[in-house]
Amino acid sequence: MSQTPTDDDIVQLARQAGLDLPAEFMPELIEAYGHVRQMTARVRAARPRGDEPAHVFVAAAFRKDQR
Amino acid sequence: MREAAFLTVAEASRLIAERKLSPVELTEACLRRIETLDNQIDSFVTVTAERARAEARAAEAAIMASAPKSRLHGIPYCLKDIFDTAGIRTTAMSKLLADNVPARDSHCQERLAAAGGVLLGKNATWEFAHGGPSWDILFPPARNPWDRSCSPSGSSSGSAAAVAAGFAPATLGSDTGGSIRGPAAACGIAGLKPTYGLVSRRGVLPNCFSQDHAGPLAWTTEDVAILLQAIAGHDPEDPGSANVAIPDYLAALTGSVKGLVIGVPTEWLEKEAPPSPATMAAFEVALNVFRGLGASVQAVTLPAIEQFDDAKKILAISELFTIHADDLRKRPELFGASLRYRIIAGGLVRAEDYIQAIRLRTELARKLQAVLSRVDLLMLPTAEPAKELEPVHPSTLFTQPSLTAAFNVGGNPALSVCSGFDARGLPFSLQIVGRLFDEATVLRAGDAYEKATPWRDKRPVF
Repeated sequence: MSQTPTDDDIVQLARQAGLDLPAEFMPELIEAYGHVRQMTARVRAARPRGDEPAHVFVAAAFRKDQR
Repeated sequence: MREAAFLTVAEASRLIAERKLSPVELTEACLRRIETLDNQIDSFVTVTAERARAEARAAEAAIMASAPKSRLHGIPYCLKDIFDTAGIRTTAMSKLLADNVPARDSHCQERLAAAGGVLLGKNATWEFAHGGPSWDILFPPARNPWDRSCSPSGSSSGSAAAVAAGFAPATLGSDTGGSIRGPAAACGIAGLKPTYGLVSRRGVLPNCFSQDHAGPLAWTTEDVAILLQAIAGHDPEDPGSANVAIPDYLAALTGSVKGLVIGVPTEWLEKEAPPSPATMAAFEVALNVFRGLGASVQAVTLPAIEQFDDAKKILAISELFTIHADDLRKRPELFGASLRYRIIAGGLVRAEDYIQAIRLRTELARKLQAVLSRVDLLMLPTAEPAKELEPVHPSTLFTQPSLTAAFNVGGNPALSVCSGFDARGLPFSLQIVGRLFDEATVLRAGDAYEKATPWRDKRPVF
C-alpha cells in the first residue's frame, strides 16, 4: 500500500489482523498506524537477495533438548 | 556510621562481614522507610515485609554461624514487577495480570536468592514495561524522590525511585529502549543495561524479546558491579543467553581510566537530538573530569538516530503485538490507553517490514561495533533531567528521538550515572557505552567518575 490508507482501509487491515475493535478504540489505532507507516516506509530499501539475517537459526541453542 | 538504609551494598556488605551490622537491622531500616515514606513515592506495588524479615533472620543466623556466602548475603533488594517471583503476585501493573501469582522464580530472582539477598518486594513499572506513565492501570505511577511532582521516567520507574529514596540499596529492572538508564538518570542513580544475552530474561515478562535486557540499578556503579556479578551468566532456558566467561567485575574497578579513548557522537548531540544547553554544559564538565583522569576524547560518527529508532520500534511493536494479540482481540479495554496505543498498530505491520527492520538492525549493529573498535567507550547524556509527572501523549514514543535505544539495537552495555544537578536540584546523567561483553571497562569508567566527583554524597530529602 503506497498511498495513504483511508480510515476504512485501516479498519479493513485491522479486521484482517483479527482486530474487530470497539469503535472507541479505532481513532487511536488509526493515529498510531500513521506513525508506524512512516517508520516502515523508511526501512524499505533495495537489498541484495542474500541479505536475509532473519534466516539465522542457531541450532546449537537447541542442543540441550537432545539430552 | 550512616543511617543504615542509606548504606550502599558495598558498605553494608563490609559491615555485615565484620559483624558490625545485622541483616535484620538493615532490613528493618528499609522496611521502616518504605512504610512511612512510600505513600509519597509509590515505588512499591507489593511489599513482602514478613518474608523479608524471615530471610534477614536466616541470613543473620547463617552469617553468625560462619561467614557471608556472597557480597549480597543479608542485603535487601527489590524487583521490577515484571520479574516472576514464586508465590508473590507479579502484575506488570496491568489489570490483565491483577491476580497473577507465578509458580516459579525468574532466573534473576533465583540468583539473588541463592546469593543470600533479602527480597523487600516488587516495584512499580510502566504497564508491561512499555506504556506509561498511566493512571488507568492497576496502580498509580511512581514519583521522583528528588521532586515528587516530577516523573522518575520509565519503565523501571519504581525500581530507580526506591533506590534513590533509600528504600532499598539494590534492585533489578529491564531495558528495551532505555528503561533502566532513563529512570536511573531521572533519579540520579547508577543503572546498567548489560550486553544482550549476558543476563537471562527467563521469567521476566517480555516487552520485545529481541531487544529486552535485564539489569541492575543501585546508588553506585560499584553496587551495580556487585549485582551484575550475581546475575550474569549463561542460562540455557533463555534462547538469547550468551555462553561467555564472566569476569570479576569488582576487580575491574581500578579507579583508573588513564589512556582510555572516549568517542562522542557529535552529530547526534549537535544536529539530530540536541540536548538542552544546561544538559550539554553538564556533559562537557563530565568529559573534562575524564580528561583530567587521563582519558582522551574524540568525535565519532554513528548512523542516524532515526535509523536506530525505526529498527527498534518496528521490531518492538511487532513483537509486542504478537505477545499481547489474544488479549488485544478479546479484551482490549483491560489495557491502559498508553500501552494499547503503543502496540495495537503492530498487528498491521507486514512481515516484509519486520524483516527489513531486522536487516537494518544487523547493519546498524555492525556499524556501531566498527566505531567501538576505534574507541574504548562512547559517552553522551542519557536524558534530560526529570520532567513533570503528567499524562504524556503515547505518540511521543514514535516521534521523540532516543539517545538510549541505539544501544538496545546494537546490544552494547550502557551505564547511566549521575553527573550533577540542575538549578532545580534534579539530577543530570551521563551515559557510558562499551564494547559487547566489555562491562568491565564501562563499570571501571563509571566507578572512577563517581569517585572523582561529589555527586554520590547528596541524597533526596523528603
